[in-house]
Amino acid sequence: MNVRRLASWLTVVAVVLAPGAAVAADPIVVSIWGGNWKDTVEKIVAKPFTAKTGIPVEFEVGGTLDRLAKARVSKAAPLVDVTFTTTHVGRLYISDGLYQKLDMAKVPNAKELAKEAFRSDSHIGVWAYVYTIAYRPDLIQGEITKWADLWDPKFKGKIGLPDFDPSHIITISALLEGGDEVNWQKGQERLKRLKPNVAAFYSTDARSQDLLKTGEAPVEVMLSINGFHLMDQGVKVKLVNPTDKPGIVGIDTMGIMAGTKKADAAHQFVNFALGKDIQEQLVAAFKAGPTNLGAKVPDDLRGQPGVFTSPQEWKERAYIMNDEVRAKNLAPWKEWFNANIVAR
Amino acid sequence: MFGVALTALLQQSLLEFVPGSLRTGGLTDANFRAVLAPQYLRYIWETILLSVATTVLTLVAAYPVAYALARARSARVRSLLLVLTLAPFFTGAIVRTYAWMLVLGNSFVRWPVKLLFEPSGVLIGLVHFSMPTMILILAAAISHIDPRYERAAASLGARPARVFWRVTLPLSMPGVASGCLVVLAWTFSAFPTPELLGGGRVKMVANVVKDLALDSFNWPGSAAFAAVALAVTLAVLAVMSRGLARLER
Repeated sequence: MNVRRLASWLTVVAVVLAPGAAVAADPIVVSIWGGNWKDTVEKIVAKPFTAKTGIPVEFEVGGTLDRLAKARVSKAAPLVDVTFTTTHVGRLYISDGLYQKLDMAKVPNAKELAKEAFRSDSHIGVWAYVYTIAYRPDLIQGEITKWADLWDPKFKGKIGLPDFDPSHIITISALLEGGDEVNWQKGQERLKRLKPNVAAFYSTDARSQDLLKTGEAPVEVMLSINGFHLMDQGVKVKLVNPTDKPGIVGIDTMGIMAGTKKADAAHQFVNFALGKDIQEQLVAAFKAGPTNLGAKVPDDLRGQPGVFTSPQEWKERAYIMNDEVRAKNLAPWKEWFNANIVAR
Repeated sequence: MFGVALTALLQQSLLEFVPGSLRTGGLTDANFRAVLAPQYLRYIWETILLSVATTVLTLVAAYPVAYALARARSARVRSLLLVLTLAPFFTGAIVRTYAWMLVLGNSFVRWPVKLLFEPSGVLIGLVHFSMPTMILILAAAISHIDPRYERAAASLGARPARVFWRVTLPLSMPGVASGCLVVLAWTFSAFPTPELLGGGRVKMVANVVKDLALDSFNWPGSAAFAAVALAVTLAVLAVMSRGLARLER
């Protein structure tokens, strides 16, 4: 074989193998909720991440608890590398030893984050929202401006509440009576008085949106992101920045699985998702609050429920429950709520 | 496999629940004491009531259709009935239940009484869900009855109603028994219908198991409740099957 022929062969081999080499990097697997959550994170975070680093990203989608259950049974050899979940469920991952400690030296973008984003050594906030009041102005009379308005008798049989996690309304009731999530018993009697106003309880985001959309529950304690989503669909919905007590903040977080063999790539992914540019796109897509304080928020979103752009706003417009108290109290809260509020 | 799953369930039910953690503690009977409280027993009682009501109403509604399916002279009518009976099987339980939400809610119809998120609405959904199976089981049983028995009774002067009560119904009792047991058993474990049509206000056993496991993260409590519910289900089925066997005789 002469040199020219050998060179031709080598060129062919190189051309054939080159694209393969580019995608041959070991993919990282990201666990997240399905639907819009996965689609948005794939488009805004995963694809640019792969373009930048060459590391492909695969997804494992499912409900919060399905994914937690899977993580538990595959603890010895984790099937995923990065997990998105709510902050208090993140506590359960930690308590079960499913997360590893984050190496903050590998997450330089964390320096730009609001302090509220640091939920623990092992999980970090990626976006925020609030549980607040959403209502259909075309189906009810008057305006709702504060949490206490929910107790108005004119809303008899009109309110929808989440029953999968009653911590928000329990905490609000306690706050209105001078308590908080630790002294939640202070709000029990007030919450019992809300019972006649409840039309239905919901256990999924989809159901909460259905209830408001169909008018079965024209007033709801709702995730701000879902309220914005309904507005985008043309449903007449008003989201309230309550004047008496703040909305109850939820922070979705990322954690890196203990035992992953791709910890470096996972840290790169986490860092990438916290970057200013990516956070700006996530804010625009979800209409959620950025955890990166450097991220620019569109004018029409500034001041909206769940969107905080400065330490001052985080302090004044957000009420963040203690994650550990919330995780520990969830069972007794749920039991009390079912017995006293849900029961007919 | 069932034995392994049952053993795992019982094992989990005897472990201590640690709030705020997925780890479990040592052996305890606290989970059973907790789920045997009136708050939880009420859900089991309501599930029994809904299941029995569903079974009875489904039987009453399905019998005439099954009779027509088995006895219609026209092959075209039989085919039409069969297609109408089988049609719901081609849509999933979730789709059917969402359709009922639209029907029972206020979107299209103004009902004089509230149906959605009430036991009555759940009952309607459960009956509709159970109808096709009951119809097929009853139709199979009725088609095995020799029509000459009915004709003989009629020729001896029995009116149609008497023929039905004294001949057709007794001879179809094996089908009635099978249909009732099947409908009762699966209604007892119904999940999507009460979950969606109950709006959180009407909960059956499976909804409470899910609440405890997936919302409260109380897996030992959920396992204990599931074990108690399983025992109650078996007891109810045993009582019912004994009663139906007596009727068959």
